[in-house]
Amino acid sequence: MSTFEFLLQGLGTAMQPMILLYALIGVTLGTAVGVLPGIGPALTVALLLPVTYGLDPAGSLIMFAGIYYGGMYGGSTTSILLNTPGESASIVTALEGNRMAKAGRGGPALATAAIGSFVAGLLATLALAFLAPHIVKLALVFGPREYFALMMLAFVTVSAAFGESTLKGLTSLFIGLGLATIGIDSLTGQARMSFGVPQLLDGIEVTTLAVAMFALGECLFVAAQTHGLDDKVEAIKGSVRMTAADWKRSWPAWLRGSAIGFPIGAMPAGGADIASFLSYGTEKRMSHHPEEFGHGAIEGVAGPEAANNAAAAGTLVPLLTLGLPTTATAAIMLAGFQQFGLQPGPLLFATAPQLVWGLIASLLIANVMLLVLNLPLIRFWVLLLRIPRPWLYAGILMFATLGTIGVNPSAVELSMLVIFGFLGYGLRLYGYPIAPVVVGLILGPMAEQQLRRALSISQGDWTTLVSTPLSATLLGIAALALIVPMILRLRGKGQVLTQIAGDSD
Amino acid sequence: MKHALLGAAFAVAAATAAFAEDYMIMAPAAPGGGWDSTARTLQEVMVAEGIAGNVQVQNVPGAGGTVGLAQFASSAAGDPTQLIVGGYVMVGAILTNASPVSLADVTPIARLTGEAVAIAVPAASELQTIQDLVEKMKADPGSVSWAGGSAGGVDHITVGLLAKAAGVDPTKINYVAFSGGGEALAAILGNQVTAGISGVGEFLPQVEAGTMRILAVSTEARWPGTDAPTLMESGYDVAVQNWRMIAAAPGLTDEQKAAVLADIDTLAKSEGWKAALASKNWADTYLAGAEFEAQLAKEVEATTAILKDIGLVQ
Amino acid sequence: MTGTPGTGRSPDGAAFIIAGLLAVFGAVLLWDASLIPDKGGYAGIGPAAMPKVVGWGLIALAAATVAGAFKGRLASVPRQNPVPLLLIGAGLIAQIALLHVAGFALATGILFAATAAAFGKRNLILTLPLGYALAFGIYGIFDGLLQLNLPGGWLETLIYGG
Repeated sequence: MSTFEFLLQGLGTAMQPMILLYALIGVTLGTAVGVLPGIGPALTVALLLPVTYGLDPAGSLIMFAGIYYGGMYGGSTTSILLNTPGESASIVTALEGNRMAKAGRGGPALATAAIGSFVAGLLATLALAFLAPHIVKLALVFGPREYFALMMLAFVTVSAAFGESTLKGLTSLFIGLGLATIGIDSLTGQARMSFGVPQLLDGIEVTTLAVAMFALGECLFVAAQTHGLDDKVEAIKGSVRMTAADWKRSWPAWLRGSAIGFPIGAMPAGGADIASFLSYGTEKRMSHHPEEFGHGAIEGVAGPEAANNAAAAGTLVPLLTLGLPTTATAAIMLAGFQQFGLQPGPLLFATAPQLVWGLIASLLIANVMLLVLNLPLIRFWVLLLRIPRPWLYAGILMFATLGTIGVNPSAVELSMLVIFGFLGYGLRLYGYPIAPVVVGLILGPMAEQQLRRALSISQGDWTTLVSTPLSATLLGIAALALIVPMILRLRGKGQVLTQIAGDSD
Repeated sequence: MKHALLGAAFAVAAATAAFAEDYMIMAPAAPGGGWDSTARTLQEVMVAEGIAGNVQVQNVPGAGGTVGLAQFASSAAGDPTQLIVGGYVMVGAILTNASPVSLADVTPIARLTGEAVAIAVPAASELQTIQDLVEKMKADPGSVSWAGGSAGGVDHITVGLLAKAAGVDPTKINYVAFSGGGEALAAILGNQVTAGISGVGEFLPQVEAGTMRILAVSTEARWPGTDAPTLMESGYDVAVQNWRMIAAAPGLTDEQKAAVLADIDTLAKSEGWKAALASKNWADTYLAGAEFEAQLAKEVEATTAILKDIGLVQ
Repeated sequence: MTGTPGTGRSPDGAAFIIAGLLAVFGAVLLWDASLIPDKGGYAGIGPAAMPKVVGWGLIALAAATVAGAFKGRLASVPRQNPVPLLLIGAGLIAQIALLHVAGFALATGILFAATAAAFGKRNLILTLPLGYALAFGIYGIFDGLLQLNLPGGWLETLIYGG
């Protein structure tokens, strides 16, 4: 049978009413749990996996796919409405999405996220079905030096998330990089910045930092305003639907996000967070409204949301073709597949085509189901913002601590949550952006490790970094992206020094 | 009202304590990992086989299991209902993290499952045998880059032991630590490194697909599913197994320890456990009581020596 | 940040404190890195390299912050009300302290009430029971149905069983 016939057969199986019902239950459960701050897709899938145990293979496979997509999407809902991203891939969504929500445009923000996730999920799942064996060959070309070059590119593009002051953005980034050095250095086993505290040896959990800085920091900041906030939150201003202009601006962003997300997700050391950073940077550069970034630009929600969903489908490429679980979510999915008797590996497409195509068909159906469920729900989600502040924030803190307690209920971990919460408050107070801190924590160790791996393999020869066309090109693009705006600024204003030294506001 | 509540609480507490065969199993890792799934499988099988009425799993992640181990050693002392899951990784982590609590501070009960570590090269590599690889390493240790799991883990230790057995200075090995087996496997498949070392289960599907070649396995006997020779029969005195175990609290009486041993023995020989091992693809390497303790002591000694040789422990 | 000059704290003072904290963080990184044995191996750069780069970077950023403050470019901030901050902080600390003693629900209910109080709902007779009810519900769903292993106390044992 050809690829296409397999897919049609899979879709045929998935179209039965009972199966569709399972998909709906899966999506609903996934969204409901994934919506809680601090509980990202990996934990959502882990928590809900047992729910699928009792069903027949086709039913449990589709419910599983539904949980997965629901968990992915649920996280973006709270990021947009409440500024509480619970996982690294939703951080940039919160940047623009929450600004939109505060301006009463939460409806369109949620809609562009939902439709963008759908479009990206659709494109990426189709790409998975037809291109996986080719994509994986490309992904394996990436060794440590190529990853290092990619990280450099990611560093340069996230400067787009710096806000208006380069000094403050860099400061935030370096705070994140500094926090990233805490713990055991994975290449040598050397403990760094842990001062003999065993709980610090594992370093700082990205989820803990993100939940603390965003959810707790925001809560403290709002609470401490004596005169109340000037920007009174309006739940809905204008339509909850996207306008024609919103559509026009979202489409290209969805497509670009999908194109960035899928290949990055397919790389064994890529991941949805890097894809969303790169997408955000790209959108800011390509936008006709760059001045809106930081104040609620819809492209800044549409692109990264599409990218992180496409990347999530992308991680299935190494998982299904090589048996490589490259993210925490993928590792848990692997455990899920094994209960269906599906042993991912290089021969999977050849040995168990029904199961693979069943899974791919399930992903497509679950993706449609997600849209069907969530578009009508948007008008209810935005009502979250109408909950009076005391109850809303008390509830947020309850769930924010729940995520941490559920994973690691140690006093050290919870104390870190509190300390970083107050740090997040302080940074907000003086206008330092939050996202670069978390970005530094994520990208810092990756870049450091890949650099040291590359140099170790080349036995200390630095020219290895530009020894392949791919790594040289990526580094070249990163350098251009860094230098060109500087030159333009120098020629345009002659103010580059003051920009670096003390820009504010 | 308050008194009634408290009274009920005590009644419940007393009722739960009345089950002599309840267990609390600590998984010294976050939910989702190998130790966690071992603990949860134990929980399932113990209840299903009627070995215990009620089994709880508690996760205490951190620092290769040493955070959980330290908490267990202090809070569970003398309590025969408390168990902890652990593994060979812990032996290394205790040493590299200079943990104040070691496996001597708990009561090891039995090794339950284990896996061979395998050394593999990409299919296109010109290295055909483990001897070829070792010769290359002897000629220029830096030119052989090894992709494996985290520094000081079982993969790293095995490379160190092999180098030492072959007469190569273990501090000179070019070991490149990757986070997780997936990333290391990708580096091997992508020809980024000379050789790779990881759990044999990760390599077998690749061997089947013809993208990789296993040169040797680390266990004393050959491993099912591959005809690769052992390191021992290739002439290198190295035998390592990445095992998982169950241990009880410190300070148990001989009778209490015997009761736990008996429960675990019933478990290990039960059909339910065998079925669980098969479904999870875990090998049955059950070894209990005094034999396990002797084996453990030997491994701790060898591991300490090699970690000093590699330079990870002062 | 917006705020009318004069109503907030002295902007320059804040800038010096921020710069000081950054410099201290940088110095701690450099001090810790100096204690790390050089294990560069074949790579040539070892575990101490990254902390050193970041440490010097933070010190440079501290200097730039001071330079910016002299130009008076750091905006002032609106006056902050310390009471809600203390209330939420106390709620979080109470949660940590009580978590393993009294169980998830009792500890988290207090956090709920403290946060609500920080936002003006000071009526504990209303907020505490509401917090407890929510926390018990969450405990039941996540520990009971979803096997999340939340620390339970005597009350959880009483209501949901062992």
